[in-house]
Amino acid sequence: MEMKQETKNEMDLLLRRLGRRDESTVSNAADEHLDADELSAYAENALPAAARARYTAHLAECSHCRQILVQLSSSAGVVSATESVKASGPSVWSRFLAGLFTPMVLRYAAPALGLIVVAVIGFVVLRRDQSPEYVTQVSNNEQRPTALPAAEPTASVVDSPSKAAAKQEDLAEQQKRNLQAETAPAPNAPPSVSSIETEVSKDAAAQPKPQQQPATANEAPPAKAAPEERPRAAEPEVSKKEVKEVPAATRAAPQTALQAEQREDSRTHGFVRDKAADDVSAPAAGAGSKLKRDELNVSANSRTVAGRRFTKKGGVWIDSAYDSSKDSTTLARGSEQYRALVGDEPEIKTIADALDGEIIVVWKGRTYRIR
Amino acid sequence: METTKPNIERVLNEGVARLLGRASDSRALNREALTPRISAAVEKYLLRNDPNTSAGEIAKFIDELQADDLCLIIACERGDENAWNDLVERFTATVRSAARSASTNEDAAEDLAQSIWAELYGLRTRKDGMPASKLAYYSGRGSLAGWLRAVVAQLAVDVFRKQSRLVQTEEDTDLERLARAAEGQPIVAGIPTPEESMSNRFAQTDLQNALQQAVQELPAEDRLLVKLYYFDNLRLREAGVVLGVHEATASRRLTRIQTDLRKRVTKILIDERGWTQAETERSFAEVAQHLDTDLESLLSKEAADLPG
Repeated sequence: MEMKQETKNEMDLLLRRLGRRDESTVSNAADEHLDADELSAYAENALPAAARARYTAHLAECSHCRQILVQLSSSAGVVSATESVKASGPSVWSRFLAGLFTPMVLRYAAPALGLIVVAVIGFVVLRRDQSPEYVTQVSNNEQRPTALPAAEPTASVVDSPSKAAAKQEDLAEQQKRNLQAETAPAPNAPPSVSSIETEVSKDAAAQPKPQQQPATANEAPPAKAAPEERPRAAEPEVSKKEVKEVPAATRAAPQTALQAEQREDSRTHGFVRDKAADDVSAPAAGAGSKLKRDELNVSANSRTVAGRRFTKKGGVWIDSAYDSSKDSTTLARGSEQYRALVGDEPEIKTIADALDGEIIVVWKGRTYRIR
Repeated sequence: METTKPNIERVLNEGVARLLGRASDSRALNREALTPRISAAVEKYLLRNDPNTSAGEIAKFIDELQADDLCLIIACERGDENAWNDLVERFTATVRSAARSASTNEDAAEDLAQSIWAELYGLRTRKDGMPASKLAYYSGRGSLAGWLRAVVAQLAVDVFRKQSRLVQTEEDTDLERLARAAEGQPIVAGIPTPEESMSNRFAQTDLQNALQQAVQELPAEDRLLVKLYYFDNLRLREAGVVLGVHEATASRRLTRIQTDLRKRVTKILIDERGWTQAETERSFAEVAQHLDTDLESLLSKEAADLPG
């Protein structure tokens, strides 16, 4: 693959040189120029195949006609024959969509859609609770209200109504109050999700989970964690949308290394652990005033984008699926090849936008080195 | 099935009747007014390429013509004042916009637009006394707006070419520097002997000539893409629009062409110039090496040129 890339560069250079050299000499070599009718019909892809082929041969040799054709093509915004094959797609697609909304289909689809919506909301609620769980436990111990809303769904997941101590009930009541205060100003939360959360929190308040109390009791209260966690807990969607940072490592930052280890053992279920991220976060322990920067360091060394895991090594973001024994294709950001690639695979653009500098990404079995 | 002359006439007559039927405003034109124009278009775009074009293809061709635009233009040509007013009213903005994009300033654009209307109206007269109008060349195959833009662009290019001559102002870059390097400086390592320098120069010339030959041997569609991208300096997206393909398709096609060209160049050098496989590989490698050097120097120069 490396060899192929070189080949491309060599030919690229040679062809550019050839283009400059021949630009002035070839321009009027053609016998008879295309007339306005032929040019406009060509630009609009309105010619029979044989005629088009004849004019293509002329255009390949005649810079005069190409110049006009380029002007026409760019101003007309034409759609090609090839693309018009695709363009026939929308009509088929729209017919398909129209078919979906016929009364017969809707009769069955509406209840099914309702079930799907409920399932999706449930999924969102379950996902929301996972990463902030740890924060919640820490915060509860300190009686800090900031991260509490995130704990509510967790409580509902591990719903065990048996042992509800008075202290837990007090805590649940406080959580409920805090949730009501917190959910209202969250701009990103969809109303439906918020209302469901509120419902869930009521359940949780009535039936606090037994698992939660022992966890918080063992917790060494972090001095400065909660203020930093607040925005994260308040904006769970933002953190999840594109770049999923490694929560365990981030939360461990203000703790001592030992405490961080203990937490790893006891509470990393549901999290994605990242050793590299821990390595970075551990030295940051105790540096409370620089927590934000430390978080950035952590996220800057291990990130998950578009479902792919990247670790920064030697200034390069490397995909966890990267196999150094395989060939890679090198692309420069902004190059034609890069734009063509991200045109085909927009997720790669998401990755390239989220990660700065050089990236090695494995996509559909091929390795791309983006600079 | 061979399409005989009577057959063609029948297909034409039926096609013209259908065209008049589907035009929302046929401008009171009859079959006799339209048939010569449509017959000329069939000859130009179909029969010239394939005299045995089937009746079905001819009928399809006629059915795809822009019926209203064609009727409007033929009515204008025949002196229908209402049709002319409609034409001016509908397409003044199109002509002006095309003239602006083809001109360097507003005055030149206005002059160009006026020239176009004069050409269309036909201020000159033919031998038979009829106005010599460009309208006679519209076939109805493409849109009328597109045809008008093409007329403007052609006239603008003609005017521009009369006023100035193209001057090559390209900088010495890439291979020119490589050529200089080949003449007096080491290419890979060590200082070359004069014989090596001379042979390198010949090698580069051979390589360039072989590439030129290989490009000429490409299929027309591929050659057009190469010309648009490398000779006319279009972006891939723009070249794709001209060819009627998506940018990604153009990119893939260009990559394939580069690979094809390398194979063809290698074959030409070995078969016709007596090179060995190793020599061709080395020559390409030298080009690649100097590409890197050139890019580095270019980037450092750009960095130095940046303000602040």
